[in-house]
Amino acid sequence: MRITEHPVLGTMEEKKTITFTYDGTPITGYEGEPIAIALEAAGIMIHRYTKKNHEPRGIFCAIGRCTDCVMVVDGKPNVRTCITPLKEGMDVRTQYGVGTKENG
Amino acid sequence: MTRYDLMIIGAGPAGLSAAIEAAACGLKVIVFDENAKPGGQLFKQIHKFFGSKEHKAKIRGYQIGEELLKEANENGVEVVLNATVAGLYQDKEITVTIDQEIRHYKGDAVIVATGASENMVPFEGWTLPGVIGAGAAQTMMNLHGVRPGNKVLMLGSGNVGLVVSFQLLQAGCEVVALVDAAPKVGGYGVHAAKVARCGVPFYLSHTIIKAEGTDRVTGVTIGEVDKNWQVIKGSSKHFEADTICLAVGLSPMSQLTKMAGCAMKDTPTGYVPVCDETGATSIPGIFAAGDVSGIEEASSAMIEGRIAGISAAEYLGFATREKQEERVKELKEALVSLREGMFAPENRGKTVEKTDEGIDVSLNLLKKGYVADSEISRFPGVTRGKGIHPVIECTQNIPCNPCQDSCPRKCILVGNKITALPIFQEEKGCTGCGLCVSSCSGQAIFLINEELEPGFASITMPYEFLPLPEPGDMGAGLDRSGAEVCEAVVIEVKSKKAYDRTSLLTIKVPVDMAMKARFFRRQEVEA
Amino acid sequence: MSKRNDRSRELKEFMQEPDDGLIICRCEEVTKGEIRKAVHEGMFTLTEIRRFLRSGMGLCQGQTCGNLVKRIVAKELGVSPLELEPAPSRAPMRPIEMKVLGNERREE
Repeated sequence: MRITEHPVLGTMEEKKTITFTYDGTPITGYEGEPIAIALEAAGIMIHRYTKKNHEPRGIFCAIGRCTDCVMVVDGKPNVRTCITPLKEGMDVRTQYGVGTKENG
Repeated sequence: MTRYDLMIIGAGPAGLSAAIEAAACGLKVIVFDENAKPGGQLFKQIHKFFGSKEHKAKIRGYQIGEELLKEANENGVEVVLNATVAGLYQDKEITVTIDQEIRHYKGDAVIVATGASENMVPFEGWTLPGVIGAGAAQTMMNLHGVRPGNKVLMLGSGNVGLVVSFQLLQAGCEVVALVDAAPKVGGYGVHAAKVARCGVPFYLSHTIIKAEGTDRVTGVTIGEVDKNWQVIKGSSKHFEADTICLAVGLSPMSQLTKMAGCAMKDTPTGYVPVCDETGATSIPGIFAAGDVSGIEEASSAMIEGRIAGISAAEYLGFATREKQEERVKELKEALVSLREGMFAPENRGKTVEKTDEGIDVSLNLLKKGYVADSEISRFPGVTRGKGIHPVIECTQNIPCNPCQDSCPRKCILVGNKITALPIFQEEKGCTGCGLCVSSCSGQAIFLINEELEPGFASITMPYEFLPLPEPGDMGAGLDRSGAEVCEAVVIEVKSKKAYDRTSLLTIKVPVDMAMKARFFRRQEVEA
Repeated sequence: MSKRNDRSRELKEFMQEPDDGLIICRCEEVTKGEIRKAVHEGMFTLTEIRRFLRSGMGLCQGQTCGNLVKRIVAKELGVSPLELEPAPSRAPMRPIEMKVLGNERREE
């Protein structure tokens, strides 16, 4: 899903590839890009399940306003993944309600 | 507590322009923005802007952003990023969240330039992953280089919906349909036309009934609505799609002005602070500029920012009243010209049936997104003649005139009124240089030569897609609706620096297609 | 008397509508039907609706649903959305952790 060549923006800037984990599985993304973008590029669209109805949610506004894309990052819940830069070794987990699957 | 002469909230087009203007008068200015990057939405705008030179027309949005940042820097403006203003109080004190703590700042004047947020519309399945705002699509593809999906359905035919649809096509996505509950296209006709000729079907008077899928969007059902916005039974249509993009308008983010105690008013386009013509709110020293005081284009926001900037300088005694009045007068003139034409604020919600020139507006354009063959010849820029000449398919009075400035031989005339429809002055002698084609922000100018060779005509069109065709490539000529109408062969492809990333593609078509074919689709070559 | 807070107004009888199950407040998962019903139960202002249902009080603080709730309430009351008093704006404007909110930098 990544764009490599764009008719207006040209060749996309080369960024450093790093590894992080999504629900325990190692995947790669670019250092410093929003976590949500790395997930999108990897085809992962579900970021969390809601508290009341247990419905899936993903990216909605992509600029940190709607808070639909929150996940548990390095143990901290409610992290807006669309504006949080990706770092090497980050532990990114699907959020269930307000926590991880085990304690949501 | 840190004190500044002027504190500006928001580093978008309005905020940065205000900062530049005020700093140039000698004010100590600080700008706060909650985002990691300045420029607001400018860096997601990859199309060429409308207007005239003074409005930075034909420059792409992100390039305008870069210019503004450079200018702000040169004027010593301090821009603080990742700084969320949490509160604004009557005595011009603000609280800002920076680095896990709350800091207080005080200023003698404040300009609120917080912009707008996207409106959303609920329908069955709208919470599914894959339903996103149009702004999200822009952020993903134009800032971060990731496609939001493969098959996208766009809801909303305003300029945002149209521009983002085109950008989705440029990013390599398929746009399966452009849907709007309104009976006519809301944005500029030229934006619609460039989407339509790529083959995107327009469904006006239609709404989304349902986003399908259990874990993510897999399809969409739309239906036609009657005058009371009720879905007509039996009118539903299904599309396979993995993404639904919502572009249903913007609302001013005016909460901070309300919190500060500024007088507010509710208008059909949003809840805004009551401002005078300099952007001053009811609280002396607090100004508002840009979308926060009423939704308009970024070009207007930049001028409003400058007006608020010079007015804040005057308020604090850094500029004389005379200087401020003179500057505001000149900026107002630029603003007034942007607010003219069919899409002027006072025409919102109205149906304009005739152009200023007295020509019937294309109804097909409003319904289907493109001007019908039977309608196109009534517009003054559309002429047929000997040899190579421009055909200017500009059919609505919008504030834009780069075509006039682009022609080295002054072949194209818009005149003093920036919203007038351009005309071609044959006697000046078109050389076919193509500068007008690349300068048209609406991609509405084509070079036609009906005397290329017996039985064949050439059509030169603006082209901003990859892969770029090469001379000799075979394919199809597409008409304004995106339907294949003839065989076509590429005879020339020009990409020059002066064209600013708009390539000029020239195709050869049967002569009777000269006034019909407006796009090219390359034949898929079997590997 | 201000129409805004007219407690004596008579509303039409509450009737279920086919799209009452639609989520309006995405954060707190409040439905259209719940909002409509609340109006019929006497919550005529946006502030009351907000306190009663928690719509607009979740993580995003009403960024997305603010206008939607307003339109639904106005329709139930039979008034223009422009006639409804907007809900108050208070700091902080964005979600913020308590430890940050409490971490106010002292005067230097």
